[in-house]
Amino acid sequence: MRFSIYRFDPDKDSQPYMQDYVLDEAKIWPGMMLLDALLELKAQDETLSFRRSCQEGVCGSDGMNINGRNGLACITPLASLKTPIELRPMPAQPVIRDLIVDLTQFYTQYRAAKPYLINEDPEPEVERLQSPAEREQLDGLYECILCACCSTSCPSFWWNPDKFLGPAALLQSWRFLADSRDQATDLRLDELEGPFKLFRCHTIMNCVEVCPKGLNPTRAIGRIKDLMLKRSM
Amino acid sequence: MSRQAHGLRAWVLQRFSAVYLLLFLVYLGVHFSRVPVADFTQWHAWFAAPLVNLATGLFILSLLIHAWVGIRDVIMDYVTHTGVRVALFAAVMLTLAGCGLWSLRVLFLTVLSGSGA
Repeated sequence: MRFSIYRFDPDKDSQPYMQDYVLDEAKIWPGMMLLDALLELKAQDETLSFRRSCQEGVCGSDGMNINGRNGLACITPLASLKTPIELRPMPAQPVIRDLIVDLTQFYTQYRAAKPYLINEDPEPEVERLQSPAEREQLDGLYECILCACCSTSCPSFWWNPDKFLGPAALLQSWRFLADSRDQATDLRLDELEGPFKLFRCHTIMNCVEVCPKGLNPTRAIGRIKDLMLKRSM
Repeated sequence: MSRQAHGLRAWVLQRFSAVYLLLFLVYLGVHFSRVPVADFTQWHAWFAAPLVNLATGLFILSLLIHAWVGIRDVIMDYVTHTGVRVALFAAVMLTLAGCGLWSLRVLFLTVLSGSGA
């Protein structure tokens, strides 16, 4: 099986380049994931660099651009891919080395969304309780693993990564706006005002298409806009 | 202009203008398929009717607003240099304002000549 992989080592290379690899068919087993193949290739060439950790789609470390589409290598079946498999780092992020990108900007925007509960009430003796219906509001929001597949496939995030929060951070914004225990709705909405932070989303839904957890940031962004509109009336 | 004018209000205006544009275009389509216009005189007379004239004026206003928000979005997305961005905003604003005033003049003259005839 043939691979074409983006290589760049800032210590040695002046320019990134694509390197071809071949994985022996004998080493391929049924149900093999792309990450397994990458580990085999790394055994061939130990300079090949990529991030990985849990290997089961939970940690979100091995996000990469696979045949032009962002995804997690560990849960992408090898058999589902057209060869030669073209692997690149996630788009529009500074490359540290090979498939490893610098996600500082992504995390800065995540932090800007204040991804934590803001509640000024004195802490109760038991947990802050929610009804099952209130808890249900958080389904499809809390599951995000911050792999950055969505934000790095969003053109608005490519063009304005310093100003537009991006789908991942906005999903978290809505996750806390939708939380019955959170008291900072006004603060959160105020901070999202202006033309850039929220409104650079033009609903093209690249984020929804690539999310490896099947989440829908576009819907969350729409809900934030609706809430903002309701509040202003 | 407040910060809000740039974010939520632009988004709301874009949506409301889109709805009006759609409704008016559908109305035009239905109207002209049922009552075809034979010549300029009929066309002129139809537009001179105050209600049609007003509705067309609103259509042009919606079109200008919709175009402004759309082009503004494109410029915000792709042009990062502040000076170039401001210059482009100004150019688009002037062009749209010019189109608006010119349309207003045409509509106004149509009403005048219609009521005079």
